Amino acid sequence: MGEIFEKIYGMTALGNFVENPSYIIMILLAFFLLYLGIKKEYEPLLLVPIAFGVLIANFPGGGMGVYAAVDTTVNGVLYHNAVTLSDGTIWSDANGIPYNIYEVGLPQIAHDLGIMNYLYYALIKSGLLPPIIFMGVGALTDFGPMLRNLKLAIFGAGAQFGIFAVLLVASQFFTMQEAGSLAIIGGADGPTAIFTTLKLAPHMLGPIAIAAYSYMALVPVIVPLVVKLTCSEKELKINMKEQDKKFPSKQEFKNMGVLKILFPIAVTTIVAIVVPDAVSLVGMLMFGNLIKEIGNNTSRLFNAASNGIMNAATIFLGLCVGATMTVDAFLNLKTIGIVAGGFLAFGFSIFGGILLVKVMNLFSKKKINPLIGATGLSAVPMASRVANDIALKYDSRNHVLNYCMSSNVAGVIGSAVAAGILISFLG
Amino acid sequence: MNTANFTESLQLMGIGLATVFCVLLFIIFFGNVLIKLVNKFFPEEVKPTTLSSTPANNAVVDAGVAQAINAAIMKLTNGKSKANKIERL
Repeated sequence: MGEIFEKIYGMTALGNFVENPSYIIMILLAFFLLYLGIKKEYEPLLLVPIAFGVLIANFPGGGMGVYAAVDTTVNGVLYHNAVTLSDGTIWSDANGIPYNIYEVGLPQIAHDLGIMNYLYYALIKSGLLPPIIFMGVGALTDFGPMLRNLKLAIFGAGAQFGIFAVLLVASQFFTMQEAGSLAIIGGADGPTAIFTTLKLAPHMLGPIAIAAYSYMALVPVIVPLVVKLTCSEKELKINMKEQDKKFPSKQEFKNMGVLKILFPIAVTTIVAIVVPDAVSLVGMLMFGNLIKEIGNNTSRLFNAASNGIMNAATIFLGLCVGATMTVDAFLNLKTIGIVAGGFLAFGFSIFGGILLVKVMNLFSKKKINPLIGATGLSAVPMASRVANDIALKYDSRNHVLNYCMSSNVAGVIGSAVAAGILISFLG
Repeated sequence: MNTANFTESLQLMGIGLATVFCVLLFIIFFGNVLIKLVNKFFPEEVKPTTLSSTPANNAVVDAGVAQAINAAIMKLTNGKSKANKIERL
């Protein structure tokens, strides 16, 4: 009888929990993230799949956790991209030679390491899904407000300050590749953060993705906080429409439809020439936008990009990223550094945009509301909505949404370019 | 303090911010050129035809059927009315 109970006990995950209680911490973390996604509605489309990925990856024996590929030394010989299994043994062939996971076929990965590793190495590690999600984002983005207020797009550059400021600090505690991956959180763009981390420090993917999406969800808290600390009431009361009336623009738009079709083609060409490493993100973003703007002739492609493909990509991206957050990958000091550094990067990015507005206001007669600088980070359109709410608090007639959308959309391009630069120099 | 990393980060900060600014300045500049070119060569907005079909949904009636419906309406109303948009429910 006792033997049967022992076998049943061995079959369940209970023994592993007793042996290594860290699993329980990860499961509680998954519950907390699910709570934030479901109840608090913090970026639920991504936080729920990520949280569920964390949950299923941390049941010992479930085989759903993603294994990291690490250079490992066995008997004095260095093996590249070897995998250490959850029982501590190294994944090896019949002769005991560790596999290089990138030289092994996907069916064998699925057979030996489980379906989640198959999905991760086929869809995520290959860098496939972030550009696909960018295509969907492009299909859902309207560049109209940016084209109508083209000059304001420059604040999308100011708000990349946080990325490079945190890189400076993080380089003292992390390797340059890790620091670059951490810093890109300041771009406030989930797919960009994931894409950059995959290229530079894939072992930090889980915590960085969680930090990036958590802070994006906290935009309604972080933006007002930074704005309150750095802007005066007088600045926040600057009414953009009144400024437009005082200093009217000479620009006229005779055919916005054609302009919107030509714009993504032009942006892709410019970015491809200046920062080729950013083309996979910006190019896909602009392709998604192009098929939206063409209209009826490509409406089937637009529907696929913005619905079916985007949704499927989001599910797999979320689950796989969550599944990288195993006990070994998450419960360490680096994660605390990522959480703190990510917050700083976010804050500095908002501040960078505000600072640029303040500097420009010193030299320009036409004043700009600093909220337009604050929205230079990606996080479209939430940052703009939050900024508009802040402006309305100070002046109920001051609708800045359209102006903020210009810098906000430019921020998506800016953060993708910044990612391309980091990958180009550190990759 | 890791001086090598700090120096590299500082260089990256300079190069990175300058590049992002340059790219967005290019976009602003070429965007303005594009606006002027479009204003010059495509001055009128091409209005989508109201009866054009949307392949993604089958709600829109094809042009032949629309013409037949319109002809019927014209006949019934002695030419006073016509349908601008016809959709299949």
